Amino acid sequence: MIKVIDAKKSYGSREVLHGISLEIGRGEVVGLLGQNGAGKTTLMRMITGFLPINEGQILVDGTDISLDSMRARRQIGYLPETPPLYDQMTVTSYLTFAARLREIPASRIQSSVDECIQQTNLQDVRHSVIKTLSKGYRQRVGIAQAIVHQPDILILDEPTSGLDPVQILQVRRLIKELGQNHTVIVSTHVLNEIEDVAERIILIKSGRIVSDVPMTDIQGSGHSLEQYFLQQVGESADA
Amino acid sequence: MRKVWNMATKEFWVTFQSPVAYILLCLSLIVFNAFFFVIIDENREATLRDMFVLMEFLFVFMVPLITMRTVAQERDNGTMEFLMTTPTSQAQIILGKYLGVLMFFSTMILLTFPYYFIVSHYGQPDHAAMAVGYLGIWIEGAFFVAVGVMTSSWTRSQVLAAMSSYIILLCLYFSVIGLKYADGYLHGFMQYVGVMTHSQNMFSGLITSTDVVYFVSGVALCLIVSRISIDNHLWK
Repeated sequence: MIKVIDAKKSYGSREVLHGISLEIGRGEVVGLLGQNGAGKTTLMRMITGFLPINEGQILVDGTDISLDSMRARRQIGYLPETPPLYDQMTVTSYLTFAARLREIPASRIQSSVDECIQQTNLQDVRHSVIKTLSKGYRQRVGIAQAIVHQPDILILDEPTSGLDPVQILQVRRLIKELGQNHTVIVSTHVLNEIEDVAERIILIKSGRIVSDVPMTDIQGSGHSLEQYFLQQVGESADA
Repeated sequence: MRKVWNMATKEFWVTFQSPVAYILLCLSLIVFNAFFFVIIDENREATLRDMFVLMEFLFVFMVPLITMRTVAQERDNGTMEFLMTTPTSQAQIILGKYLGVLMFFSTMILLTFPYYFIVSHYGQPDHAAMAVGYLGIWIEGAFFVAVGVMTSSWTRSQVLAAMSSYIILLCLYFSVIGLKYADGYLHGFMQYVGVMTHSQNMFSGLITSTDVVYFVSGVALCLIVSRISIDNHLWK
């Protein structure tokens, strides 16, 4: 579904991704882990087509995003780290706007919006103005815009950042549900959040993949994800 | 085209959610109304020419306040990332935003239409000349809006966007003042780029291809630069 081949990215003279290669299959739920500044967001932005790559290739369902990013974008739903919301709009009008930009036929827009509102449990606030919503609701509206077109691939950057424990549980449950029908990439540095959601863990450190293993392998090794993460990243960091 | 229209209508309604929009509409109506009656009372002529000159001057200061948020705010709020990860091209984003603000600007012009009916009721104006005058102020405003969208695409600061617009629009507006200090090619250049050179003809009811080409190409140039500007920001 997603194939990244030797992708490199620099901001000016600073290289942030040093030739990353990975392959994610259809229906996989992948946890992208790493410390702040490791390159997770840059990698996700490149997969969504928001950032162009300097070298290498990214294929989304066989389509090279450098050559036809529009086709790739139609298959991807993306929640950036800060939910991209228009505060003055109501939840419904914002999701309708998102649905139109996502090329949903006019006859299906209403049902698509209703469906994603249902999935993200936003029924109570569907007519509320976004600026009046709590952080948890805002995060869910952000997720709703990412799934309004029922994309094959869902990319979520820090989906639970700043949420309280109850809201984190709700979002985690939602990701689990979405993972049944979508390929999901979740980036986070909150480890226990990913532990019971992801089937596979990709660990990035300083722009390089240092580990790419199934979650069952980590669980089978008798280590917690936190211990595993510290083993891969922490030791070197201490050094 | 559907996406451009979606962007434009969203932009139009979002503009109306801001108090700045209502303040500008009220302010423009108060100032225009006051000057309309002063000008008519003073000149005793069935024409709106002097009104258009006044509107042109005020739009130099008003338009940047309408346009400053268009792209800068999207970038500042992180919603540009949302727009650019939907299957919407940068050109559609810029065009949609431009049309949305232009619709708001056109509303400001529409609110002055009663002047036309008042002048027509009490005098015998040259209707064609007034129509051309309205076309002139609208197309000039459309150019100002394009300048504003362009400067808004350069930065995430709305204040910087407005300041940049003011610098460009004031240079374009006052360039004719410097004509007496320039000669040769510079004189010709300053005369051509000055908006007043082109707007005065239209305010008097004269429509020439040179003036129309000036405004239309100005709009096109600004929108192309805006499109390139948001593209460049992807790399930063």
